[in-house]
Amino acid sequence: MGRILLAAFAVILILLLAMYAPTTTSPTSGTSHEIHPTPVEDKASLRTLQARYKTLSKQLAQLTPNQPYILVDTARNRLYVKRQDEIVLDAIASTGSGTILDKPGEGNNQWVFDTPRGEFLVKSKLTNPTWIKPDWAFVEEGLAVPQNAVDRAEQGVLGDYALGFGKGYFIHGTLYTRLLGKNVTHGCIRLNDNDLKGVYKLARVGTPIMIF
Amino acid sequence: MNFCAILLLLALATPGWGKEPEAFPDLNPNNLYELKEATRVLEEELKLAARPQTYLLIDLSASAILIKGRGIGLHQIPIATWSSGPQEALKGVHRLMARPPVVRRKIEPGAAVEQEPISVADMPTDYVLTFTPPLSLTVVPSVANDGLFRSAVLLGKVGWHNMQDWVAQFFADQPVEPSSSLRLTLTADHAQSLAWSLVDGMAVVIRRSSDK
Repeated sequence: MGRILLAAFAVILILLLAMYAPTTTSPTSGTSHEIHPTPVEDKASLRTLQARYKTLSKQLAQLTPNQPYILVDTARNRLYVKRQDEIVLDAIASTGSGTILDKPGEGNNQWVFDTPRGEFLVKSKLTNPTWIKPDWAFVEEGLAVPQNAVDRAEQGVLGDYALGFGKGYFIHGTLYTRLLGKNVTHGCIRLNDNDLKGVYKLARVGTPIMIF
Repeated sequence: MNFCAILLLLALATPGWGKEPEAFPDLNPNNLYELKEATRVLEEELKLAARPQTYLLIDLSASAILIKGRGIGLHQIPIATWSSGPQEALKGVHRLMARPPVVRRKIEPGAAVEQEPISVADMPTDYVLTFTPPLSLTVVPSVANDGLFRSAVLLGKVGWHNMQDWVAQFFADQPVEPSSSLRLTLTADHAQSLAWSLVDGMAVVIRRSSDK
């Protein structure tokens, strides 16, 4: 009887150990809990994976824009126009200053003068653009915000061209060429006249703009 | 015959004709683990590259961080050294909860003196980034000017994160997955450059290495 009990206890103990044994995973491969395939299976799965890798690589390459795209590096204040891996245009730019300005009468609300990061599209192409000064331009100067839209218009400050990429952000020219290469803008991207003309010629409405 | 010769000439003259796109040039196509990992990363990356956004690829195999958009490497930051917890946990897409904080200068309306803009030099060189699903990414500079103090501060930050994890697990009704961790050593410039380029909610995918 004692032997039977002992045997039953041993069986239960083995079962419990099997149920609660920790599964070990290797920090390197992460596959140590898998059954190792035989060499034949290994070769077959290697071929399948090689084909899958090629297909996925192709699919990823197909997402790359076929047309030229604009690349903006806000850390180093550079703008490039690229076609695949080729740099078609390389320009010194000015991007957002990162400073803040309180919105009057709106408590803790603030304007943050960053150049937005991410992917955008050229939405408009303008020649001889007029700057319609936003509220912050007046607040910053300590002036009252005009009620009349005509009082907001200012000619000749954005250069010969402007490329809009949404929410009031533009790639445009500047009167302050000595500040190119620095983070000084309210979020727009400034270029000198020659580079601006080059970008204007190369870009179309719909050209991707990648900003990081 | 002539037609075939023209076709052959065209094929030879066209740059990149028949060149297969390769997502990871350093990949050993005969290594089953590397192939599995590369295809997993590509599957994740395809989803990210299909949308208009920038994302991070931390390539531990190639010791590089890539800022990418549409599958294109926009900027590359070399990793000096790295270490991690169990790599098994470094799978999937993680989203950045918040970029490292930076002290922004406030513009005083009507002030004669212009506020100094923030630049990449204002960004921190050592910081801890938290992601969801849980991932803790610690960035440390490879050359620390005031080594002991920095190490102590960083140790405190990492300790604080670990304690938060522990408290969350202790009080949770259901078991909480322990957060996976990765520690990257970058040069001070590269650490600042990475901090600058990060955006709240930015996606990160990690290509794990078989080296460690």
